[in-house]
Amino acid sequence: MSNAPAEEIPAEEIDLTEANEVIDKYLKLPGNLMPVLQGIQDAYGYVPKPTIDLVAERLNVYPSQIYGVLTFYAQFHLKPRGRFIIRVCVGTACHVQGAERITETFFGRLGIGHAETTPDLRYTFEKVACLGACGMAPLAMVNDDTFGKMTVQKVDEIIETYNARPMK
Amino acid sequence: MVNLTINGKQVAVEKDATIYDAAKACGIKIPILCHDKKLHPFGGCRMCLVEVEQMKGRLIPACTTPVTEGMIVQTTTDEIVKARKLVLELLLLKHPIDCPVCDAAGDCDLQNLTYEYKVNMNRFVDEKFNHEIDYENPLIERDMNRCIHCGKCARICDEIVSYGAYTFINRGIEAKMGTEFDGPLNCEFCGSCVSVCPVGALNSRPFKFKARWWALQKTKSVCSYCGTGCQLTLGTKDGKVLTTIYDENQGFHNGQLCTRGRFGYQFVNSDKRLTAPLIRKNGKLQEATWEEALAEVTSRLAAGKSDPASVAALATPRLTNEELFLFGKLFRGTVGTDNIDHSAGYAHEALTKGAVASFGVAASPAEIADVQKSNLLLVVKSDAYETHPVIGFEINLGVKRKGIALRIVSDKKGKLTRLPGAKTTVHAPGNEVALFNALCKSVIDQGLAVEGVAGLDALKAAVADATAEKAGVSAEEIAAIAKEFASAEKALIILPIGQGYPGHNAALANAAANLAILTGQVGKEGAGLLIMGEKNNSQGAVDMGIYPKGTGLNAAAIIDGCANGNVKTLFVAGENPVVSYPNRAKVEKALENVEFMVVSDLFLTETAALADVVLPACSFAEKSGTFTSLGRRVQNVRKAIPAIGLAKSDFEILNAISQALGGARYNNQGEVFTEIAASVPAYKGLTQAGLKDEGAVYPVALAAKLVPAAAKAAAPAAGKLALVTGSALYHCGTMSRFGEGPMYVCPDAYAELNVADAAALKVEEGDQVTVTSGTGAVQVVAKVGKRVPQGVVFSPYHFGEGSVNTITDGAEVTYVSVAKK
Repeated sequence: MSNAPAEEIPAEEIDLTEANEVIDKYLKLPGNLMPVLQGIQDAYGYVPKPTIDLVAERLNVYPSQIYGVLTFYAQFHLKPRGRFIIRVCVGTACHVQGAERITETFFGRLGIGHAETTPDLRYTFEKVACLGACGMAPLAMVNDDTFGKMTVQKVDEIIETYNARPMK
Repeated sequence: MVNLTINGKQVAVEKDATIYDAAKACGIKIPILCHDKKLHPFGGCRMCLVEVEQMKGRLIPACTTPVTEGMIVQTTTDEIVKARKLVLELLLLKHPIDCPVCDAAGDCDLQNLTYEYKVNMNRFVDEKFNHEIDYENPLIERDMNRCIHCGKCARICDEIVSYGAYTFINRGIEAKMGTEFDGPLNCEFCGSCVSVCPVGALNSRPFKFKARWWALQKTKSVCSYCGTGCQLTLGTKDGKVLTTIYDENQGFHNGQLCTRGRFGYQFVNSDKRLTAPLIRKNGKLQEATWEEALAEVTSRLAAGKSDPASVAALATPRLTNEELFLFGKLFRGTVGTDNIDHSAGYAHEALTKGAVASFGVAASPAEIADVQKSNLLLVVKSDAYETHPVIGFEINLGVKRKGIALRIVSDKKGKLTRLPGAKTTVHAPGNEVALFNALCKSVIDQGLAVEGVAGLDALKAAVADATAEKAGVSAEEIAAIAKEFASAEKALIILPIGQGYPGHNAALANAAANLAILTGQVGKEGAGLLIMGEKNNSQGAVDMGIYPKGTGLNAAAIIDGCANGNVKTLFVAGENPVVSYPNRAKVEKALENVEFMVVSDLFLTETAALADVVLPACSFAEKSGTFTSLGRRVQNVRKAIPAIGLAKSDFEILNAISQALGGARYNNQGEVFTEIAASVPAYKGLTQAGLKDEGAVYPVALAAKLVPAAAKAAAPAAGKLALVTGSALYHCGTMSRFGEGPMYVCPDAYAELNVADAAALKVEEGDQVTVTSGTGAVQVVAKVGKRVPQGVVFSPYHFGEGSVNTITDGAEVTYVSVAKK
């Protein structure tokens, strides 16, 4: 869920240099809004509000329309995301294999719910419909690492492992 | 043409028509919710489904399907009705059935279609939406629970208004019409979205719970704000104007209005309206009877007849043609003075001196319809959008739909400058004439001038030293604009004029006309010069000759005359010189000094407060007559409500005075129009009845010639900012201050600064600043942005408090210093 009401959008000061570089790169490309927004998300990890105003100004697109695009696509995020994105499959196969208990355990250990981020910006947790590896159900992923045949014990192991990883 | 059959009827339509258009052309109604004739086809609501013989097996949306030769269409079969009922059931699944408290009831397409298709039960059950209602602004209420996702608000805001306040946000069942960051609505509040909303999702808040639609009496009239002459329908009940009603078939603008047209009508029923005549007794204005007041005025004017030079009169171009004609006749004929004028004199000079010299007529050679027929628009000042917003919509439409090239020469940026493909040349303030002279020189140098134009040699000599440098812009830009303008098939110059624009005078009109004449862009459709008068009847006031014709005093001289005692009696019909004429302190002193001043107005304005007699006048809603809009279109104004209190129309007032002085007497304003048609050449053959709803554009016979215009050398003062005045988008003259709508969006005088200047002055948005010039000082709110270039400060003139005429003296540019209070 990328939707966030205005008051939840962080209004911090942002260095717009990288956003300007992304816009420069695609400025002449017809239909450049998507690559620009993707580029900005790559650079900042999410799409900060000041960059939306900047894109609106420089590409001459209404800010409202950019917001419409950002909230339509699940790939865009308006709030900062964690360094590690934990995704737990709750599709049919994983559900049957007890995915519910896995997600509940993550919620308990991390103190956050679905589509939320820990205050230290280390973790973002998401329930997803299917990760395409039903044979390994129940399944979890942390960024690009896959963890099959998940158990409640393994949740603690994963968190320990990633707690030890550097933030940058 | 394409031939097709609809419900057995043969119909031939243009090949770019849709099935919906074709059906409409032969009188067959296909129900629609998301379609609007002004907008691009959308095809979202599926109400217009029809059956096409050649496309059997599925139903076809009529509003997006183009016609093809031999098409056989059925618009109401059992299957279609079933499909439409299903669509309605699905819409009603989420739509709250709160019609008894919904202001759209009676004017709701969904309600009407539900009734028409007898959807009296729903096979589906679901929860209703639970969106928060946006009450953040007092003009437009957004209740997204009632929204049916037709997208018309987002499309009109993008396609026509070019503001883009709305968009679809989120996805699937969570999708809704939202704004940027799903926040409260923050736009220019033109209300276009409200007008096209097919349900009660977008409501006009000033009209909320005022009346049911079917209880309203509807009167077609003309807006009384700017010179565009938008037609509007007033919704009235119990002698009050309660709303303006959207009628997509009205006027060139298809019922589109701006914020003051749509939400500014409240001045009519404002509780600040004058309801009885006032006479100054013992230094105070006190209520009096009409007999007393008129006796006082007529005895004064009768005495003035023996010394007509001591009598002067100022009229507002908001009056009807009939009133202005009578005004002219009373003062020129009966009283015998030529000291009459309007709009501070300079504000109509572009027509009375400029256009007369260049084209031989005191009117624009072009009309509004030419905007859409042109290939290139050259707009003087981005303010054309602010002064005449609905012309702004026309420009938006032309640029975006028809690919009309847009070139803007302006001292600041604005909404127009952001249109696709628009090229803006920002010049230093006050350089407009120099810039047009440089363009003319460039046209001549590039060999693009039309051979054998009258006055070519004189112009060549006059612009010999007009360089781009003198206009403060690059030679490349000048050469490019000159070339584009000259080589465009049809090119039109748009020049707004008004009291906020002292630089838009006769010289500028001549300079602009020179460019058009020199390049042969005159005397054909889609080309020429469109001079846009500021007020609803600016063109009419000029046509009725409300300016000194001979040796009479013009407005500025009248003010001077009041100050030095030469003018002893001043009659002011609706003008507010204290706030709108240059140099407020001087005007106030002059008006305090004049022996006798009578003011007829709707309100006790700053000027009326200084008068000896104040006569309560009627607004446009309380009288009939005609206005002439900037494109020379004469239109009928119709009385919608009885006069407020004891107010009388200026026609009645002037008629009574005229009669008492032994002058002309008319039984009704219609008789005056008959006389106008007989005595004003341009109006020959017109009748009020013949104007009907659409009005008539009177023809002009052009005698175009080049008239050299001298550019004043603008000498920037070191360390000072250049103050340019003008109109705020939401206001027009000083009357819009009495409308709730405009006053909400723009309540106070302000000074707009560039971010860099603001940073240097340590001024932030919303700070109180003191702006000081050689004439005076004024305190206003600061606005900070990128619209005005560095070194320039912009301030609109409409406000009584902090009025910008305190610091201006009629010069094109005033150099000021700005300091935080």
